[in-house]
Amino acid sequence: MAQNRWVADDSHRVQTPILEAKNLAVSYEIRDGQVNAVRDVSFKIHRGETLGLVGESGCGKSTVAFSIVRFLGKNGRITGGSIRFQGQELQDLSEREVRSLRGDQMAMVYQDPFQSLNPCMRIGDQLCEVLQEHRGLSDREASVRAIQMLDAVYMPDSAAVMRRFPHQLSGGQQQRVVIAMALLNNPALLIMDEPTTALDVTVEAVVLDLVDELRRRLDTGVLYITHDLGVISRVADRIGVMYAGEMVEVASAVDTFIRPMHPYTEGLMRCVPKLGLSKESSSLYPIRGRVPAPTALPPGCVFEPRCDYARRRCREKHPELRSVEREHLVRCHRAEEIRETEWRPSDETILDLQERLRSRSEDGSKVLEVSDLRTYYDQESKGILSLFGLGEKRQVKAVDGVSFEVGAGTTLGVVGESGCGKSTLARTIIGLESSRDGKIDFLGFDATLPLSRRDKRLIKDLQMVFQNPDSTLNPSFPVGYQIARPLRRFGKVDRARIGDEVVRLLNRVKLDGSYYDRLPRQLSGGEKQRVGIARAFATNPRLVLCDEPVSSLDVSVQAAVLNLLMEIQQEHNSPLLLIAHDLSVVRFFSDAIMVMYLGKACEIGPAEAVYAPPYHPYTEALLSAVPTADPRVEQKRIRLSGSVPSALNPPTGCRFHTRCGRKVGTICETEEPPEIGFGDQHRIYCHLPLEELEAMDAVITA
Amino acid sequence: MLVQDYMTKHPLMGRLTMSISEVQHYMADNDLRHLPVVGDGKRLLGLVTRQSLLVEPVRLRSLDVWEISRYLTTESIDVVMIPADDVITIKGDATIEDAARTMVRNRVGCLPVVEDGIVVGIITETDLLAQLAEIMACSADIPAVRATVQMPNRTGNLAKMVQAIAAQDWGILALGGAVNRDDPAVWDAVVKIDNVTKDAVREVLGEVEGHRVTDLREA
Ligand SMILES: Nc1ncnc2c1ncn2[C@@H]1O[C@H](COP(=O)(O)OP(=O)(O)OP(=O)(O)O)[C@@H](O)[C@H]1O
Ligand code: SF4
Ligand code: SF4
Ligand SMILES: [Mg+2]
Repeated sequence: MAQNRWVADDSHRVQTPILEAKNLAVSYEIRDGQVNAVRDVSFKIHRGETLGLVGESGCGKSTVAFSIVRFLGKNGRITGGSIRFQGQELQDLSEREVRSLRGDQMAMVYQDPFQSLNPCMRIGDQLCEVLQEHRGLSDREASVRAIQMLDAVYMPDSAAVMRRFPHQLSGGQQQRVVIAMALLNNPALLIMDEPTTALDVTVEAVVLDLVDELRRRLDTGVLYITHDLGVISRVADRIGVMYAGEMVEVASAVDTFIRPMHPYTEGLMRCVPKLGLSKESSSLYPIRGRVPAPTALPPGCVFEPRCDYARRRCREKHPELRSVEREHLVRCHRAEEIRETEWRPSDETILDLQERLRSRSEDGSKVLEVSDLRTYYDQESKGILSLFGLGEKRQVKAVDGVSFEVGAGTTLGVVGESGCGKSTLARTIIGLESSRDGKIDFLGFDATLPLSRRDKRLIKDLQMVFQNPDSTLNPSFPVGYQIARPLRRFGKVDRARIGDEVVRLLNRVKLDGSYYDRLPRQLSGGEKQRVGIARAFATNPRLVLCDEPVSSLDVSVQAAVLNLLMEIQQEHNSPLLLIAHDLSVVRFFSDAIMVMYLGKACEIGPAEAVYAPPYHPYTEALLSAVPTADPRVEQKRIRLSGSVPSALNPPTGCRFHTRCGRKVGTICETEEPPEIGFGDQHRIYCHLPLEELEAMDAVITA
Repeated sequence: MLVQDYMTKHPLMGRLTMSISEVQHYMADNDLRHLPVVGDGKRLLGLVTRQSLLVEPVRLRSLDVWEISRYLTTESIDVVMIPADDVITIKGDATIEDAARTMVRNRVGCLPVVEDGIVVGIITETDLLAQLAEIMACSADIPAVRATVQMPNRTGNLAKMVQAIAAQDWGILALGGAVNRDDPAVWDAVVKIDNVTKDAVREVLGEVEGHRVTDLREA
């Protein structure tokens, strides 16, 4: 970007922040007492500024948001401190006055667009209603304004969208409608609670750009809540880090990432895999322990039980949020000393990846070989004819001719947007879906057979860790019993020793023997996923498939689970097939990577080769969209329009041609792209001439 | 350079439920001299200014101390605000010179920016002065030479000066002008140039035919 000669000065304007929270405290009444969910939280948001609020699940982020719009529910109330909106104390306002502010001067966007959209009402009617409620516009005026707003959020064909129902829009489009709705009355404050968590990276990138542009153009103050550090580094001017109901650090985005001062913030930074770092140099250091319940807080510093720097003073005295540097607030007794001392991972978390990688054995033999695999789902058409059995049968080609192999001791990462067929691929290999065509060779076994006809040894050697541990653990049996089942079934150990083996496996995933008798609902999400991993590895499998194993977990828990998975993989020397939408996670883990789009592979090769040019245009776009948790990293800006087309009716030729920014010409629409090899097993499927592929710049430069 | 680019968006606003003393505090605490009063949907209902807040002396004389304080805390904002019908407003797509002229003609220091009856911003004298300072590159903090040049009030003369500057490959930070107060045949132009010396500017601009440098300073 060219250097601007100077920027406009706004110092003559009103200096009152749009929002100012001071020592805010919020409690929920529960049956046996009171949960002090938020304590002593202070921050300011100025016009045209985005404050990002981050922290692990349960830290009180949403509670802060709800207390501003007074949506705390029947059992929640503000118990202390103040919230000033435009210089007025919100607690002094009557319910009626708050209602007239809500949706007019302040608006909120939630994670799930469906929470804000009425499924039975046309988009147009919903937008107009908002305008009419507060402004009493006529139908004509309201609909003109609604269309303008849809245009402002770059909704293609907005007049037509007005007539649609929410389910007729894609997730990204729905979220754009919700943002348009929130901005209709030009609010001074926009609160967004995880607004892109449910979206694909490519769609997320577009929505984040949009939020940023609108904030600048409309001078809106934005409170942006997320647990994703990559996202926050992209949108926030300043960042507030929350821990166990308290604000522990507030600083500019750059300072938060480059010079975090609170041990918790530092810890969060070490938990996220950073794109651009090679697998060899990246280690994740999870924060040990977990967030204390608001009902069982430690007496001194709330972070003390997990802090590597804790001293006696930390246990005795609760630290105040104080200004350590200009515009940099930290709640830690030792902030100044800590910055100088070099942090060393404690023994508990130390994990020397390089060491482990060196010891890894790759003898070049193959474990899994998949060729031209196809899995189709039949879909009955929903038309009236189908009632008479006359409807045409349509097919979703979820996996449509995919070939790859996994070598002994290596990890293959599979990435792509949702709906690209990643999960179907895994489910086919494990035998939960049956393939239409193609071969799956797993150590000489034919793995195209359905589960019921598989050899017992095949089942034992091929295991899977699922995305959502809840759906695979039986809620009515204790954890130990569920891990023991495969042991019993495959007779891996003597009946008498099964109990010991289960405890050993539990220990292996860092759970102690006391978990043996617990029911799944008594475990946290991360713990359930550990049980899932313990169970998958119980039979000493030769290949483990992991479908989004950490996407439902908090960053600090993610790091722990990822490390654990890697350790166990190392120990067993068992290869992994890792499916993830998070490109940084995949990068951290994989030796080889396959990028999928609409049932087909577009690029496959060694990880270093896939993450560096030449790229397939789709890989290039994915890499440009992924939020990097490091504001120093330069990222090329490529945005895909629209979302993945329906697999019922995929585009002809190259399936990516409807969204490709480098499209060569009609050849892309008519002919399947050829395979271009780059040596070392790196293959790209694209019509681009070799010279152009080779002339591509890197997307991410540090 | 339109009003919507320079107004303060999301201004602080009053509600009808505020009492006079609440308004006084609100304006004092936030250092406001003008307060648009709005109803639901930010519809403009009136404007409170520091002047309109003053209780008329006649009224004041008729009240004792207790009555005054009761008057202030119980009477609502609407007895001191200028009702919407009498408030001079402007639209967002007006030019800033329109805004300046409207303020000067009506002798008001502030214009609520209103679209279809809805307040979208506020523009005040201070905003316009800040803008003038910006047009003259005051806030840039870039060392520069500021020259006032008198030239014939005829088309093409300003262009001559600009060409002379461009020929030197100099950068213009700011440029403005107005007709001379005493002689309508003369145009006074002001130009700010960075990375140059006073002498160089004097020489180059003084050489343009019919132009005279009347003031030269570092600014
Ligand atoms: N209605 C409620 N009644 C009782 N306790 C509640 C209620 N809502 C939230 N809590 C508790 O308050 C604390 C803060 O919850 P909150 O939802 O604000 O966290 P969060 O930071 O938004 O988490 P997440 O990232 O999971 O959305 C948690 O301990 C939670 O269990
Ligand atoms: S106060 Fe002590 S325990 Fe708390 S974060 Fe700082 S060093 Fe760690
Ligand atoms: S084949 Fe054509 S449309 Fe497909 S990725 Fe390559 S350039 Fe783009
Ligand atoms: Mg939340």
